[in-house]
Amino acid sequence: MWIPIQIDENSAEPLYHQIKTQLRSLIINGQIEENTLLPSIREFASGLNCSVITVRRVYQDLEGEGLLRTKQGTGTFVAKVGDSKRETFKRESVEDALGKAIDAGISVQCSEEEIKRLFLDIVARKYQPKIGKE
Amino acid sequence: MEQMVVQMVAVKKKRRNKIIGPLNLSIPQGYVVVLVGENGSGKSTMMNMLMQTVIPDEGDITWFGQSYPSGIPPEIKQQIGYVSEKSNLEEDLMTAQEVAKFRSYWYTDWDDGLLQKLFKTFNIPANTKLNKMSKGERRKVEIAVALASRPKLLLLDEPSSGLDPFAWKRMIDELQEYMAQGNSTILLSTHIVDEIRRLADFIILVHQGRILGMVEKDSLLDNWKEVWVKGDSSMVEDLPGIVSAQQESIGVLRLITTECKQLENLLQQSGIQLMKTRGLELDEILSLWIQRDEAVIVQSERGE
Repeated sequence: MWIPIQIDENSAEPLYHQIKTQLRSLIINGQIEENTLLPSIREFASGLNCSVITVRRVYQDLEGEGLLRTKQGTGTFVAKVGDSKRETFKRESVEDALGKAIDAGISVQCSEEEIKRLFLDIVARKYQPKIGKE
Repeated sequence: MEQMVVQMVAVKKKRRNKIIGPLNLSIPQGYVVVLVGENGSGKSTMMNMLMQTVIPDEGDITWFGQSYPSGIPPEIKQQIGYVSEKSNLEEDLMTAQEVAKFRSYWYTDWDDGLLQKLFKTFNIPANTKLNKMSKGERRKVEIAVALASRPKLLLLDEPSSGLDPFAWKRMIDELQEYMAQGNSTILLSTHIVDEIRRLADFIILVHQGRILGMVEKDSLLDNWKEVWVKGDSSMVEDLPGIVSAQQESIGVLRLITTECKQLENLLQQSGIQLMKTRGLELDEILSLWIQRDEAVIVQSERGE
């Protein structure tokens, strides 16, 4: 199983954190299905040019979160992700993105009123049926 | 706890015009450990001491937890595969097949199927005498024979020197395959950055006969970064791990830190954002590391 993980070497974020965050979202949003056998630690590490220490740490952490399970002698599998966990993850990732957008506003001295108005404008634009395309 | 495949404690060896050591070193089982350092820094001497072809003047070496002052017994030696820097003159007139057959005698786990497969993958002219082969071909024979003995520890002294890029790629694949079996360990010396990137779990930096440190490759790449921040040189003193600082333009400082995460956290607390970060190449990191430690050594010698 090939796992689409993209590492940004120029980011200040540690490799381990980049891999963990991406693998976690692939599992939670269902792109990697339940019971999928993940690559062995060595195999995964060679694919990413990182060390086995990093991959082992990622597997252990995600196992701790209940997203992976390891069967002795067989390998590491994707565990069942409950609906509530999926909902939490969905909410958190949207909250996170909105938080960043608001930070961007604050950094250019947007007022609270301005941000709210912009937000509602964009929501209206994105959720409206596209005129002329129907 | 992880088992140590080999350990060196306070090992010293006097060479004609330099001293190697004191060396303290532990190689854990299941990892690829890469030795890097300038020519003549002592890497090959370290390998030779692990093969007992060079005997240290002082200190202790253990293999799989045991020391063997009167020689490593054959049952232990057959668990170590070795590709030396220089080729063995005594084998000049033998073909690759003959060399393999001759050496297989000492290895109970010898895997002839694997050998033939490797001869094929590496395009080795198996019936040509070794002294008629190119340097790269002879290197490939050595690597194939070392792997076919199915060792627990593989010592590779610049295995890629002389290899063409295609053979080099195949060697990387074969070494990864070897590691995938579990319980295998590689200690490898190289000057090729891409080889370190692809293979290493740990890096040992050797400089003028001394070990400057052994670190996880990823932690090195994570922590050594170049960053651009708003500010001037007056703030440098309070920042962690700075090895270089330059005023990029008015109000913008370009720093190289060995503690990127710590630096980012500290700056964030004071409301300063990183404007840009750049991951350093391994060779940049290694030469900065040598420069930094040399400066420390010079300082401490002056202080005395």
